[in-house]
Amino acid sequence: MDPNQPVTENYANPKTCFFHVLFKAAALAFYILSAIFFNSFVIIFVVTVLLAALDFWVVKNVSGRILVGLRWWNEINDIGESVWRFECLDQESLARMNKKDSWLFWWTMYLAAVAWIILGIFSLIRFQADYLLVVGVCLTLSIANIIGFTKCRKDAKKQIQAFATQTIASRFSSTLQSAFSVI
Amino acid sequence: MSHQQNYGDTIPLHSSSQSDIDEIENLIHSSLSSSSPVPPASSARTPSPPRAQIPVSSSLPPLPPTSHKPLPVPVVPSVRIPAAPAIPSSSNPRSGIEGFGPPPNTLTEPVWDTVKRDLSRIVSNLKLVVFPNPYREDPGKALRDWDLWGPFFFIVFLGLVLSWSASVKKSEVFAVAFAVLAAGAVILTLNVLLLGGHIIFFQSLSLLGYCLFPLDIGALICLLKDNVIVKIIVVSMTLAWSSWAAYPFMSTAVNPRRKALALYPVFLMYVSVGFLIIAID
Repeated sequence: MDPNQPVTENYANPKTCFFHVLFKAAALAFYILSAIFFNSFVIIFVVTVLLAALDFWVVKNVSGRILVGLRWWNEINDIGESVWRFECLDQESLARMNKKDSWLFWWTMYLAAVAWIILGIFSLIRFQADYLLVVGVCLTLSIANIIGFTKCRKDAKKQIQAFATQTIASRFSSTLQSAFSVI
Repeated sequence: MSHQQNYGDTIPLHSSSQSDIDEIENLIHSSLSSSSPVPPASSARTPSPPRAQIPVSSSLPPLPPTSHKPLPVPVVPSVRIPAAPAIPSSSNPRSGIEGFGPPPNTLTEPVWDTVKRDLSRIVSNLKLVVFPNPYREDPGKALRDWDLWGPFFFIVFLGLVLSWSASVKKSEVFAVAFAVLAAGAVILTLNVLLLGGHIIFFQSLSLLGYCLFPLDIGALICLLKDNVIVKIIVVSMTLAWSSWAAYPFMSTAVNPRRKALALYPVFLMYVSVGFLIIAID
């Protein structure tokens, strides 16, 4: 699990990946299967939303950092404005991130959101307002994470470009200088 | 809730470092000294002055900035998650020195510490909002580290208590209570914003959620003691407490001539929750 080793085919952080998927799958599974076992809507609601919240927390704080090196949060600064902050690893480390890890990270996030949308459509069709509430909450959480990390990734790309142009410019100028010093 | 994820590492944390930003800054300094190429930079999405480095303002609140939207404190997961720290203790051993950049190196704290820090943040937010304290004169500063985990927990708790008290239609009671409280908080916030008030959306949601704490206590007492007179007294006391807690934040956010317009709906919402508590049998 040492991310410094060249990872060609295996997941670099299998346990993190496992937890990343675990809570999403547990929330979806519990929601879908609970109708068979439980009669009480309250239990379904509380457990499903609890699992979705845990998933949100794990993705935002654990797997985001470990699997893709991104992080986002919100701050309120001194003058009382709300500021969203996005952070990423430096370019070298980003390039070293395991491809499989990040593939898993993004695709499970998207798939989970799509699954909740489908479940929401089902409960709309059946006119079950309470289940729609559950789906709504879980969907909000998934989408919040997706938006946060997508913005973070765009931000990271912009920074990489800026860094790259800056590096190219500085190297260019130093090459020029060394060329001139030789002449 | 931004939290750091840190799993045992060789890099010692700064002893007072409690926030992601502090840790990142420390690690930037240490990694800069070991010549890492580029410190990770963060940029603000809003037009406020972009900073090239992880911003650390001198008035940074002692507690870490908290998460986005929801949800509940991982009280349950604290049982399960201690398995998780085993993960990273074996990963990222020397990654800082090899220029991996600060964020993986901030994974030095076991998850249990993060959970404890989140819990303490909720407790301190609760104390700031609901109990008398010196920060009440400056509401903007008081709830700087908003988090939605406390409010979520309180809303769910209130819904559960109401549902337990109800002898019939338990599910509907819970769903109605949850939806009314959640939608009510959003609508009240929009009300303040539309009145031209200066309040931050999530801060206000967080505040309104924390002010439910007295009503939670009231509902719990009413659950245990079923006498109508006792219920009325308890509910009115906790209602007054909730409104008192919410008053400074709401009133300072709007134009003084519109104070009543902003406060009345809040009071109305708490009164209706109070009636719900009394009327449930």
